[in-house]
Amino acid sequence: MENKKLDITNKIIGKDLIRYFILIYWILFWLLNVVDKVIGGAHFLFVGKDRFAQVQRFFDSLGLGDPIIANIALIITVGLETFALVFFCGALYHFAKKNIDATCSWFFIGIALTLITFTYFSVGDQVFGDHFELLEHGLFWFIGLLSWIIFIRVDKIQIFDNFSIGKKQFISSTVLVVAITAITTFSIFWHNHTSFVERTQALEAVKVTENKYKIQFPFLAGSKAFENSIAKFKTDNPTENITYIYTAPTPLRLGESDGLIIYIQTEKK
Amino acid sequence: MRENKLIQYLILIHWTLFYATTVIDKIVPDVYPLWVGADFYTLFIKFFASLGLTDPIFATVALAGISFLEIVAFVCFLFSLLNLYKGKDKISEQWFYRGVSFSVLIFSFFSIGDQVFGDRFTLLEHTIFWIILVVSWVVYKYNSLTEERVFTFKLSKDIKIGLLVGVLLTIITSISLFNFASDTFANKTEPVQGEEVVEGVHKFDFPFLGDKITMENTLKAFEENNPDLKVNYIYTGPDELNSKKKTHMLLYVFTEKR
Repeated sequence: MENKKLDITNKIIGKDLIRYFILIYWILFWLLNVVDKVIGGAHFLFVGKDRFAQVQRFFDSLGLGDPIIANIALIITVGLETFALVFFCGALYHFAKKNIDATCSWFFIGIALTLITFTYFSVGDQVFGDHFELLEHGLFWFIGLLSWIIFIRVDKIQIFDNFSIGKKQFISSTVLVVAITAITTFSIFWHNHTSFVERTQALEAVKVTENKYKIQFPFLAGSKAFENSIAKFKTDNPTENITYIYTAPTPLRLGESDGLIIYIQTEKK
Repeated sequence: MRENKLIQYLILIHWTLFYATTVIDKIVPDVYPLWVGADFYTLFIKFFASLGLTDPIFATVALAGISFLEIVAFVCFLFSLLNLYKGKDKISEQWFYRGVSFSVLIFSFFSIGDQVFGDRFTLLEHTIFWIILVVSWVVYKYNSLTEERVFTFKLSKDIKIGLLVGVLLTIITSISLFNFASDTFANKTEPVQGEEVVEGVHKFDFPFLGDKITMENTLKAFEENNPDLKVNYIYTGPDELNSKKKTHMLLYVFTEKR
């Protein structure tokens, strides 16, 4: 059957934009996935996810501890992701050139590879018993499928083609945006000015019983805050020896938006 | 081949494999070589025990009933796929409809269970799968009613360039992955180097590959390197202290002079 050309004209800015958004989203999605694998590990300006560690641990749980197995699984993944990226890039190139038939063909292959990738992941999730990842990959599979439907059927959707805004509405909306942005920015900067110190600041331990002390950490506190607090505790209590630290579990700190709470148990030196 | 048909294949393959692995997970209820899966039996036992139904017969019957529905759904999807392959599109569609109906029923049962057992996260999970199934059916059905594009794969110049770029990128990424794997695999067993962050308190940043063997080797190495220190206490840094996501686990070792 002869392929029908989609009715896209310069007037239908909205529909073009939706297609551009879909293409750019999937290109960035797969590009960053590939970059994550090329970089490997956490570096300055890129943390990413240690996929080798994740996949190796998965296969180790099956009794396949040899790293070559994890490597092979990752190479299959990389192949699928890379080709999905290439085909989405090709679709964007053809779309920019207004070559709609080629756009749809390249986009279709990209989507097919995306669906295959997430089906492959879903099978793995079932085998490894990771139902949270199964949900995540099922959702991505679904989003890929919907993306394809929207991309090819966007012409059937009634959409406005006039993006111009009236002068009065433009001025009032701009004033509103500027005002709210100014208030929000001031609030964020003020919070930074007053609270950033909490990231590392040592906290005072509160005596709860004869040999038990409580330290309540703010949300911003990191490992440095913990270490500085322990150092402060040891300095403030030179005759006490830490014998145990109990971390209050989540159910005990639901009130007052509590962050991390620890209880220190001591004995006399 | 028509694009719509290919999408139908992809939808059917996804759901057939989804239910095939779900059924295998029920047949293989525990952890074995080459299969870990989820322990639904334990989950069901705990759920029913929370209702006061501690007799394992309740969990067993419920699990068997759910498994039966999953097997029926799997067979429906499998038959749909086989009929699509044989070109019997109408029969394939009927089997797919049956499969989706059973699946929707399964996820509805699950959702009722989640409400009864008070598990809101699982309720969200099952509702998402429920809607994915319904939309899968809409896509499968709706596409068969609308205009059809023919999928042709000709090795034109741009496709050749695309394939070449894809192969090159795959090779580069694979080499990078191999290098990363060979550089970091030793982290699985090698002891982690600690640092004294407070007098008598040593911090260890465990890598993502680190597990119990790493921990044991780390403690052994620490005691060998610090014969004058006695380990009093080990504290695992909770997630709140590890917000950078760069470290798998933080471990603090509290010591004193011998």
